[in-house]
Order: sequence, then C-alpha cells, then structure tokens
Amino acid sequence: MNADTIPSAITRLLTPAQRQHWELAWLSSVDHKRIGILYMVTGLVFFVAAGLEALLIRLQLAVPNNHLVSPDTYNWLFTMHGTTMIFLVAMPVLFGIANYVLPLQIGARDMAFPRLNAFGFWLVPFGGILLHFSFLAGGPPAVGWFAYAPLSETPYSSQPGVDYWAVSLLVLGIGSVSAGINFIVTILTQRAPEMSLRRLPLFSWMIFVNSFLVILALPILNAGLVMLLIDRLLQGRFFLPFGGGSAIMWQHIFWAFGHPEVYIVAIPAFAILSEVIPVFSRKPIFGYEFVAVSTVVIVLLSLLVWAHHMFTVGLGHTVDLFFVAASVLIAVPTGVKLFNWSATMVGGRVRFTTAMLFCIAALLQFLIGGLTGVSHAIAPLDWQTKNSYYLVAHFHNVFVGLIVFAILGGLYYWFPKMSGRMLSERIGKWTFWLMTIGFNLTFMIQHLLGLSGMPRRVFTYPDLPGWGAMNLISTIGAFFMAAASILFVWNVVTSLFRGKVAGENPWNAWTLEWATSSPPPHENFDALPPIRSRRPLWDVAHPERPDPVVPLGGTLDAFRPDRNKAGVLTFIISEAGFFGVLMLAYLFYNATPTSGPGWHQLDVPKTFIFSVCLFVSSFTIWRSEVALRSGRTAKMIGWLTVTILLGGIFMVGQGLEYWHLFRSGVSIGLDLFAGTFFTLTGFHGLHVCAGLLGLLVVLGVALCGGVKNREMPALGPVGYYWHFVDVVWVFVFSIVYLWPLLR
Amino acid sequence: MTTQQFLVSSWSWDGAAVVFSALAMLAYVWRFGVNGRMWYLLAAVGAFLLSRISPLNTLAAGYLFSAHMLEHILLLLIVPALTLMSLPRQVSLPWGRSLPAHSLMAWLAGVSAMWLWHARPLCNAAVSSRLVSALQIGSLLGLGAIFWRPILAPRETERMSPPGAVFYLFSACVACSVLGILITFSPVKVCPIYLQPPNDNQAVLELIQVGWGITPEKDQQIGGLLMWVPMCLVYLSAIVAQLARWFAQPLAGPQPAERGSS
Repeated sequence: MNADTIPSAITRLLTPAQRQHWELAWLSSVDHKRIGILYMVTGLVFFVAAGLEALLIRLQLAVPNNHLVSPDTYNWLFTMHGTTMIFLVAMPVLFGIANYVLPLQIGARDMAFPRLNAFGFWLVPFGGILLHFSFLAGGPPAVGWFAYAPLSETPYSSQPGVDYWAVSLLVLGIGSVSAGINFIVTILTQRAPEMSLRRLPLFSWMIFVNSFLVILALPILNAGLVMLLIDRLLQGRFFLPFGGGSAIMWQHIFWAFGHPEVYIVAIPAFAILSEVIPVFSRKPIFGYEFVAVSTVVIVLLSLLVWAHHMFTVGLGHTVDLFFVAASVLIAVPTGVKLFNWSATMVGGRVRFTTAMLFCIAALLQFLIGGLTGVSHAIAPLDWQTKNSYYLVAHFHNVFVGLIVFAILGGLYYWFPKMSGRMLSERIGKWTFWLMTIGFNLTFMIQHLLGLSGMPRRVFTYPDLPGWGAMNLISTIGAFFMAAASILFVWNVVTSLFRGKVAGENPWNAWTLEWATSSPPPHENFDALPPIRSRRPLWDVAHPERPDPVVPLGGTLDAFRPDRNKAGVLTFIISEAGFFGVLMLAYLFYNATPTSGPGWHQLDVPKTFIFSVCLFVSSFTIWRSEVALRSGRTAKMIGWLTVTILLGGIFMVGQGLEYWHLFRSGVSIGLDLFAGTFFTLTGFHGLHVCAGLLGLLVVLGVALCGGVKNREMPALGPVGYYWHFVDVVWVFVFSIVYLWPLLR
Repeated sequence: MTTQQFLVSSWSWDGAAVVFSALAMLAYVWRFGVNGRMWYLLAAVGAFLLSRISPLNTLAAGYLFSAHMLEHILLLLIVPALTLMSLPRQVSLPWGRSLPAHSLMAWLAGVSAMWLWHARPLCNAAVSSRLVSALQIGSLLGLGAIFWRPILAPRETERMSPPGAVFYLFSACVACSVLGILITFSPVKVCPIYLQPPNDNQAVLELIQVGWGITPEKDQQIGGLLMWVPMCLVYLSAIVAQLARWFAQPLAGPQPAERGSS
C-alpha cells in the first residue's frame, strides 16, 4: 500500500487547504457529503457491535439447553441488538445515504441547514455512546427494544440501564427529527430552479414524504420516553398499574411510534429500489405516479394502525376488528409498489450488477416479509404466532431482507459517486450470494420453528424433535451473513485504494447526482443540465427521443417558501405531536376525578390573568412584525420588549403556581394528577423559556443594528414559534383549568 | 325479534326529511337540468335518507351511540361531499370571499362540528330533544359543506392546491382521530343518555344486547373506533384523489421558458 494513497483515499473530498488537517476537516464538516459518509461509517461501527450480539444470540441458540450465556445476558443481548440495529444502524445509514444523495439529486449545493445537519449527525454517536455507557453503569438494559412497562419500571429494572436506554433514544430521536426537518426544508427550498416537485426523482420524493413520518412519529416516542423517565427518576406512576397508571398506555405510545418506525426505515429502502431497478433495467420506472402516491398512502395509513401490534394485549374483539381491517389495507399501496418494480424489469435490458442483484433480492424477500406481515394483521393468527419465531422471521425479512439488502444495493450503486472508484463486482457477487444464502438459511427456517411453537425472547429451548437441527441451520446461516459483511467491508476498503476509476456516470444513470464529478466538488455542480423531465441525463444523452416533459403547473410547482419559516413550521408540526401525546395522556389519566389533593389546589382566576398576558403577547409580537415591515425600528423594538415582558410575567405566574402547589405538598410523584399536570405544564414552560430566549436573541440583534432594509430574517420564524407556544397554552389551559369546571 | 325482522320493521317515516330531499332534487333539476353529475346528488340523497328513515335512525334514536356516530359521519362527510361533487363543473360557489370560504375557517368548521356535538350536554340533548336534533342535522350538513368546499368546489380555481389539500385533510383526520381515541378508551360515558335506552320497544333492546351482544361499553368503543378508523379512511380516500389530481394536472397557463435549449 503506497504511503500517499492513504490520504488520497480519505481526502479526495477535501480542498487542498483542508488536506493539511484532514481529521479535523472531517470532524468539523458541515458539508452534506461528508456528513452523509460520517453517518454511514458510524452506522457501520454500530453494525459490528449489534452484529456480534446477534452472533452471540445465535451461538447460544445453536443447540438445545445451551448455557453459553446466562438468561440475563441473553436478555440484554437481544435488547441491545434490536435497539442498536434500528436506531444506530438502519436509521443512520439510511439518513446518511439520503444526506449524501438527496441534495445532489435535486441540484442543490447543500442541505438547507448545514449546521443543523452536523448537529443531527453528532447526536448519533452521542446517543450511541450513552446507550453503551450503560455497560459501565450497572449493566445494559434487558427489557427488549420495546421496553414494555412495567418491566421497564424501577421495581422490576432497578439498574440504570433502562435510564440510559431512554435518554439515548431521546437524544437519537431529537437528532432524527432535526434530520427530518432538514430533508423537508431542503426539498422545498433548495431545489434547482427547474426541479419542480413533480419532477423529483422518486428517491428524493420518497425521502421527502418519509421525513414527514419522521417528524410526526419520533415525538410520540419522545413523549413516552419522557414519561418513562419521570416514572423512573422522579417517582411518577404513568405506566405503573399499582400506582393507578396504565402499562397498556406505554404500549399504545410505543407502537404509535413503533409502527410508523418500520416505515421510516422501509420507505428509504423502497426509495433505493425505485432508483436502482429502473437504471439497471434500462427503462424508466413503471408508473411513477403510482409509486409516488402509494408512498403517501403508506405514510398516512401507518400512523393509523399501530394497535395491530397489540392484538395479544386483549383490547377486545371490537378494537381488534377495526385494526385488522385497517392493517390489511396497507397491503394495497405496498403491493402497488411491488407490481411497479416488477413491471419496470419486464421487457427491460436487465443488467445483473451487484447493486441490481441486491435490489431484486430485497424485492423478493420483502414479498415474503410482506405476506407474513399480512398474516399478522389477522388477529387470531397473530395470537398464535406473535410470541414465536414466526414473528422473528417476519420482521427480519423486512429489516434485513428488504432494508439491509436495499442499503447494500444502494451502497454498491452510489459508492462510485462517493469515492470516485468502483467496488469490485467479483467480491460483490460473492458478498451477494453469501448474504442471500446466509439470510435464507437463518430466517426462512425460523418460520417453521415458530409454527412448531418455539417461543421468542427465551434464552434456551428444550430438545424437541427438529428444533435443534433447525436452530443449528439458522446459526450456520448467521455466520454466512457475518462472512458476507466482512467481505463487504473488505471490498469497500480495497476498492477505496485500488478500485477502477468510476468517472462521472459509470452506470449510465439519469438523475442529477451523476451529472458531476465523482466525488463531487465541494459546491456539487459547476453547471446543471436542463431539467424538463424526471430523467434529465437521459434527455441530454438522447436529444432525439427525450422523455415527455413534466409540465410546470404554475405557482405550485414553483413553491419555494422562506427557508427559516419553513424550518420553524416543520419543527412546530413535530412539537405539536409531542404536546398532543402529553395532552392525551392528561385527558386519559384525569378522565375520572381523583380524590386527594389535585385540581382543587389550582388557582384558576389567577392563572387566567397570567394566561391573558401570554395571549396578549401574541398580539404584541404581531405588532412588532408590522412595525418592522413599515420600517419603524424603534417601535418594533418596543413591541418586542413588551412581548418579552409579558412572557416573563407569565412565567412568574407559573412559578407562583408551582410554589403554591409544592408548599401544599403536591409534587410530581404524588399522584397521577400531579404527574400529568407537572409534565404538561412543565414542558410548556420549558418551551416558553426557549421562546423567550429566542426573542431575547432577536432583541439583542435588533439593538445591535441588525435591522436592514426593513428586514430581519429571524423575527418571523421566532414569531411563529411564539404563536405556537401561545396556542399550546390555549389547549393546556382549556383542558387543565376549564375542563373540570364543565364537569 | 330477529335482525331481519328489525331491518324490515324499523323504518321510520320522517316527512320533513323526505320533503327536504325532494325539494333539493327539484331545485337541482330546475337550476342545472338533468345531467350526468346528478348521480352524485342521488347518492347524497340516498345517504341522507339512510340516516333519517332507515333502521339506522331507529338505533341512533336512543339505543346505540355507535349508530349515532355513523349518522354523524354520513351527515358531516358523505352527504355534503357528494352534494358538492354533483354540481356541474362551471358553477361558482357563493360567498367566495367571505370568512367561511377561508381554508382555516373551513377546517375549524369541519373539526369543531365533530368535537362540539360530542360534548356531553349537547350529545344528550341531540337525542332527547327534537329541536336540538334538527339543529344538529342542519349544522352537520352546513358545516360539512363548508369543510369540503376548499377540496371539492366545482371550479378548479376555487380549490386548494393539492399538496395543501393533503395537509388540510390529514390534519382533519388527526383531529378526529384524537377524539375517536379518547372516546374509545375513555372510562367515562361520552353520551350517558344511551345508558337509558327507550323501553317502549323491549324487543329491539333485547336484539341489540343479546342478539348482537353490544353492551354500552362496547357501543361507545365502536362509536370511537368508527370515528378513529373509517372516518380517517374517508379523508385518506380524499387525499388519494387530491394526489391523483395533482399528478394528472394538465399545464395550467403558459409554460415558462425553459433554460438552455439542447
């Protein structure tokens, strides 16, 4: 290995000045390409950890009555394996690919908020370290990736492992939301001028739609985690049945997030398939519109059907019936996609590159995983198979068969763009066959194991006929997959140094990322080709028979909102989800009035007066914006100061209320009323403080002469946020203070 | 009483509803003539009469909260939507610049109709008082029409842009789901009047509770679930229609000049 090839492989993306300090240039980068690669490398590191955990699990299960690991070790192994694979492997790697590809595909220079992008990435290693720090602090969590209450509560898991688990997921959740916001705003505001929303390549469109799912679903989990942490650290009782709480509530919250989460990682995989399959079939995608619309349908339906994860809880036939019907519906838009991908290949000149092979395999494995998924939507069947290896086989068909295979396909497809060099097809084919054979050895047989009754989440099993042999086959398969993973990493490392030089467009692909050098320069493009259809590079290469022009439909296709306002508005949508869960929890836990100190201690008239201050501040900030637009800076600063004062007065009022409650012995751990009250109003107060900080920054900037040409880009977005905080208080005040008056 | 006997025998004669339907159809024919879109109006009238004179109405009048919820869905979502769809495409709707035509107001109208009528006193009163019931029917139809207007106005120019419509419909779906979730899992009765069903017809009561096995708890659950799941599917269908409209949208206005001819 030549000495100066080492830097050149790692520094090809850097400018000459940055090469002097290439480590720093990577770590301090706000360039979407480097952040994308950092996401993927981080994902790979955690993939190794979670993969080793999986191998330990399979070794333990290789023979009956095995005692390689203890039951407790087995519990944390499958907990850490699941949590890591989903939150620290699948999501970061997919976000990384999207981070790299999406701005290039839409002809942008970078993401809309490069620093937020770096922030979102750095939360991944931070969250991962927090999760794994639990090894040093009393042992890792051993409650499953779903952390069902009350097992995850202090009486049953007294070690801080679950706390680390919850805090880590909270951190990762915040990172994911920030990435989701960034993707949405990037698509809306950074597209090339001719790149209308209807001309988006399917990959970008699907990441766009999926990001809405990210910002809607993650806050639900965050709200649940906050409640779990309050239970564990502040003696709350949200999910403790003997404290009046509801363990089922945790399941509702977790699966209201957990079901969409499946699609959060599946839709980017669909997005990769929709990009790779057409290119290697030498045909445009069959039915672009159907793939695009079915994605939206999947996203919306997925938010509606979480209760099918809870058929075994005993919600009653009535509830089950509705969710069976709604869940089966998801098969329709998903099936539409499978047909579209298949029809794309029919009659095309299919090139079986490694990327294409992985995508075809993903399609087939997902067909199996999808069909077994539909079988789980049928409640009676679900009761029989839910706690068996049949379910393990099902979701691994989705998570590995679809998602990991699609990721590998995507990496083989885009690696030449990222590195400038081709991955070895020879090693690639080996990887593919080892992976596919290994995967099917490991998981296909688990369908049979499950149907013959082997329960999951149990550390060992008795020597029943056939179980030992089937488990052994499964374990052997797992090692095939491990070998395939090692080959893949080997391929990446060697190809970085010795791979064939890729050139701009090695696959003769059609989207914009292939219209620039490999790897692209820091600013991505020197000049963009004309964009009139969904395959601009096809049009350039075949001027004699270009794709049909996708019309520009007037104002809508040109829709480009203000970047900061769009960012704050998407953030508000996400926050509304968070508060929505807290408010639903409040209504649920206080549906029947409790005895004991509670609502009677609240001072409704006094709080009403303080609330009026907050409501009026929405008016004053609006006046401030009006003053700014009419060019009266002093007046603007005046109204802004009044807004801050009113917000401050409100916070004083909240402080007085809390003080009064504490003095009369009402603290967060007292009962469910106190728990829900302090959680809801406390988080609102926190948001008011954040808004006040924002306003103070704006005031400071304005006082330092930041107003130029009647413009101040920060005031509008901060104003939106302030209005949001006020609107939340309208709801909180209504349900906490007014609703009991009506009863 | 068997289910079949019930379905045959419990049709109620609501003269006002029939006259109203007939007048609506006459007005339509007088104004627009007989045309292909009239099928939508016939469907709307059918849905309206289903909620007023069919056995569904008998059930909703004191026996089943869930039947009452189904009526709400018909009156608020189905009937107004079908009526708007029946209008010929060149018709311009009145009050185009007034407040109810604003999409935020229209959204609030649709969502608040669902929330307000399930406040306990109003929900009870709608069952016990004929006047309040008539008020409820009228307001659901009216607010439903206001809600659907930005989506289904006959003229393309009076509608929201499709992506905006997706947000409009999806947020309405969420707002109704939240209420549906609360009703489904609430330990308290939303509409306690259904706990004391009219005892003038013991056979119907027996059919519901023994024959169909619907207890008051189950009844409320079904009501909540109807609002949570099928109602959202109505919005979802509308969302699909909006997206189809977007991708099918022909060139509106002259095409802007393209940069760099090849």
